[in-house]
Amino acid sequence: MPFMIMLFVVTTAVAAKAQDARIQTTSLDHLASTANTTVDVNIDERLIRFAAKAFSDHDADEREIKKLVAGVKGIYVKSFEFDKEGQYSAADVESIRTQLRAPGWSRLVNVNSRKEGSIEVYLLLNGEQIGGLAVLSTDDKELTVVNIVGPVDLDKLAKLEGQLGVPELGIETKPKVKNEEK
Amino acid sequence: MNEDYLWDKSGQPDPQIQELEEIMGTLRYQPRPLVIPRNLVVSRRRTYFPLLAIAATVLLALLAAGVWVQVRKSSKSQPQQAKVPPAVQGTTPSPDVAVKDSMPANKPAKKESTVASNVRRRHNTSAIRQREREEAFAVKEQLMLALRVASEKLNLAHRKSQSTTPANQIKNQHRIG
Repeated sequence: MPFMIMLFVVTTAVAAKAQDARIQTTSLDHLASTANTTVDVNIDERLIRFAAKAFSDHDADEREIKKLVAGVKGIYVKSFEFDKEGQYSAADVESIRTQLRAPGWSRLVNVNSRKEGSIEVYLLLNGEQIGGLAVLSTDDKELTVVNIVGPVDLDKLAKLEGQLGVPELGIETKPKVKNEEK
Repeated sequence: MNEDYLWDKSGQPDPQIQELEEIMGTLRYQPRPLVIPRNLVVSRRRTYFPLLAIAATVLLALLAAGVWVQVRKSSKSQPQQAKVPPAVQGTTPSPDVAVKDSMPANKPAKKESTVASNVRRRHNTSAIRQREREEAFAVKEQLMLALRVASEKLNLAHRKSQSTTPANQIKNQHRIG
């Protein structure tokens, strides 16, 4: 009996910790009415397991993706693209950013550009392991929030672009600095 | 001594016998009415035996009916499973074709309907599997879309951070040099 209680407590604690990595994006739902294109993907752990059945073990790329999402507890994407500028407010962005200021989250990347907009990458660290990932990308005509709950391999995730028919965006792996040095 | 007294109480009685008669006479039957004591409690014992017997009979009847239905079901389905050709599952033929394939020609028409229903059930299960597979593929597509966006944004962040920060550093280096 004490073992069962302990197991329950540990399970609850782990579940609570996993829940911390989840970012609530319902405050952005009203933007769907004004957006030109809306992408709203909500895949929890159960659906990931379900989708894993559809991945082929014979295909190397699909095997890699299956491995990538094996420990993931949820993947949530909300993206809005607008025809005109200024369709979303600073408060909309702030509602997401506030959640990412919670303890545990640390900002890995923050790039602000007037021309190209801003992009912020946050990581939730559980010790040395990644417990969650959040990307907040804003542009004049775009607002995107990506939230991955659970451990995820960032290198493998970044390499996904260009695989399985996903077009390469022409992102250079080597920095431009080397050209300038020459 | 005359023994007539012993037979019909006539004649001279023997004093010893007379004495015995007097002693034993006190124990003679004396008629008197039956008196039931007032403190006597008569307990009414209810017998559940008939009810139990009826319940047991009903239970046994139900059990027997259940067993009979099960046996009937299994006896119907067993030969069908044995005679299903393996190629039928993948090609999903019409029930009529399956009946022709799986049943001998001299079988009565009544049996054919049962085979048809079994094929229909198999069709249903395969349809459910097909639907599950389709749903899994749909979720997979959603998952791929989410991963695609995540990957794209990560790479964008990587590219932006690499293209802005080092350039500034180089500019600073040039200024210092």
